Amino acid sequence: MDEKAFRKEISEFVVANFPDKWRFPSHRLSLKETHEWQLTLNEKGWAAPGWPKEHGGMGLTPYEQLVFQEELNNYGVNIAPNMGVTMLGHLLIRYGTQAQKEHYLPKILSCETRWCQGYSEPGAGSDLAALRTSAILEDDHFMVNGQKTWTSFAHDADMIFLLVRTDKDVKKQKGISFLLADMKSPGITIKSIKNLTGSSEFCEVFFDDLKVPKENIVGEINKGWTMAKSLLGAERIMIGAPKIARYPLQLLKKLATDNGLFNDPVFKAKYTALLLDVDDLDATFIRFGEVLRRGDELGPEVSMLKVWITETAQRVTDLLVEVGGEASLINESIQLSDGSGVHPANHSFSSRPATIYGGTNEIQRNILAKAVLQLPS
Amino acid sequence: MLDLQSRIDRLSEEEQMIRDSAASFFSTDAELKRIRAQRGKQPGYGADKWQEMAELGWLGSMLPEKYSGMDLKFCEVIHMFEQMGRALAPEPVISTAILGAGAILNGDNETLKTNYLPGLASGKWKTTVAWQEKASSMDVEAEHVVATTEGSSYSITGKKLFVPCAAGADAFVVSAKTADGTALFLVDKDNQGISLDYADRVDGGFFGTVTLNNVSVEEDRLISTDGAQVLSKVLDEARLIASAELFGIMAKALELSVDFIKQREQFGKPIGSFQALQHRAVDAFILTELSRSVLIQSANTFDRTQDKTERAIAASQVKARCSDAALEITKSCIQLYGGMGYTDECNIGLYFKKAMVLAAWLGQGTYHRTRYGELTNAA
Repeated sequence: MDEKAFRKEISEFVVANFPDKWRFPSHRLSLKETHEWQLTLNEKGWAAPGWPKEHGGMGLTPYEQLVFQEELNNYGVNIAPNMGVTMLGHLLIRYGTQAQKEHYLPKILSCETRWCQGYSEPGAGSDLAALRTSAILEDDHFMVNGQKTWTSFAHDADMIFLLVRTDKDVKKQKGISFLLADMKSPGITIKSIKNLTGSSEFCEVFFDDLKVPKENIVGEINKGWTMAKSLLGAERIMIGAPKIARYPLQLLKKLATDNGLFNDPVFKAKYTALLLDVDDLDATFIRFGEVLRRGDELGPEVSMLKVWITETAQRVTDLLVEVGGEASLINESIQLSDGSGVHPANHSFSSRPATIYGGTNEIQRNILAKAVLQLPS
Repeated sequence: MLDLQSRIDRLSEEEQMIRDSAASFFSTDAELKRIRAQRGKQPGYGADKWQEMAELGWLGSMLPEKYSGMDLKFCEVIHMFEQMGRALAPEPVISTAILGAGAILNGDNETLKTNYLPGLASGKWKTTVAWQEKASSMDVEAEHVVATTEGSSYSITGKKLFVPCAAGADAFVVSAKTADGTALFLVDKDNQGISLDYADRVDGGFFGTVTLNNVSVEEDRLISTDGAQVLSKVLDEARLIASAELFGIMAKALELSVDFIKQREQFGKPIGSFQALQHRAVDAFILTELSRSVLIQSANTFDRTQDKTERAIAASQVKARCSDAALEITKSCIQLYGGMGYTDECNIGLYFKKAMVLAAWLGQGTYHRTRYGELTNAA
């Protein structure tokens, strides 16, 4: 791949087609509110960078996917990931029946079907395998009862892919299956979860005697856990991408510049330390990305990127709040000299879950200790 | 622990060879007995080891072949210095091969190059750079060491501090203030008017103070009239190389500590099974990988370009990270060793002390972060 030409192609397309009003938003945008852009991407054939071409994807390698994402990030595209594309699509491509692939994949690409993910439960966060939402096979359907939580944008979704318990009598990982359910089915109730920023991106989803057609199981019954674990690909490295901290760092620079803080050596020292925390992670991200570029796979060491960059991002947002002073306490964006705005408190609030989602940083450290340092349990 | 490098990095054949031969060179003193015995003893390193290193081409590693050098790339030579760091080797390879050799090579006195560089590469002739005049000052312009012209020769007076491996040096590259700016001179140790003092360092080595009292040098000993520029260049190269040593120190210290906590038992279990220690070790590990990534990136920059700003940025980025990481990690390792870590008998403290020395030499984290911010116009 001619990387330079590839990057140019992506950025030219983005510059020509991505509306200014959505660039560098104060919080990530939903698929629903950026629907136009999803349609534009699909028209171009770019809706699924990581899917094989024969299923309508771009067929990009993990490294190329990284490059693609970087170009979008650089332009200020900050949209919630399309679960249908990043998670369900790969699952169906790998484990789905022909009928399921033909039915669901095109609608993911066209955004005709918006998907949300039903994994975590109140009693199953870090210990996801302890999930209890049950699915009992009765004639032609599964009877589902239980509750999911932290489901992003459930209120916008048409369908949900679920991890459910189909066997209570075996070791917990061995009794889990994958089901696909229609969000309009009777028996589903959605309750949004207001977060510290005041917005409600996440939801609880309740299932009361929900009937899911039995052909909506993906892959073999009770093999859901293994399937879910096998899906981790290029996404794993993206969870530790430099932009997670670089984005708020750019905002910090703008606000600090407007406030004349780059004349203060104390501020400059703090800023440069954070800049280097991001730049050094960048060098590490590129080095790990090389592994993907070669066609090799990354191992458990990839967790360190997530740990470092999310904690750095929190330090950045801490300083962002400090720099705003009392203005950071007002629940509205501070106007910047370039016409954009920044809401330091919301950036600080929304950086809290970064060290919690995708495996808490404590869990990541446990993984690194066992799998990389080979320390005993 | 896993050997991550074999999964992540693809070393060239040359890099592997250099790494393996350096690792093997030091494998005979895994217990660090030689290092311990050398502490506090002039000249601070082993003359026999020095000769062996010369025979392997280490001293001329960065010199062109015409001066009997190996003409290695930076991305190759960092492997050698990583192994030196892992072994806590006291030999002044960086002072001679990088600073001294670099200063003469980058000067414009061809005769000095032809006359001295091959001898440097063969181990027969040793030099070091005496440039610093004040603690914590990275100023490459000489201020207090002055060279006045006297006909066709110069007279140099002043004092240079923190000269590494001054004992055993056959000559010093001295920066002095002239009417036209900072110049570099090659001053033989036997010149009249030179006196050397040594201060014991906390790691068992020495820093020399070179006092010049009307030392007369002929103009054919002038290395460069643009001393500031030459010094800037070789100091940045030395920062990269010192970072490679710092990386070796931190990596080895962590490996030893991880092994220790796997074995050490308390409360009926290996203490390495306790989460608090696991997390401490992981945080140290993350710093080693950040350091290694920046080291490779900076070495590639030095190989790719001669642009002094790009190199200065790369040097500051790697020296800042490796200095602070080495300090943090070696201190954390002492914590992992518990009470034993505080003893002189336990080797882990030796890593902390060496890290302290290399972290402070040639500019520590704070200095380099400031410089990075200024050079990248970020701050």
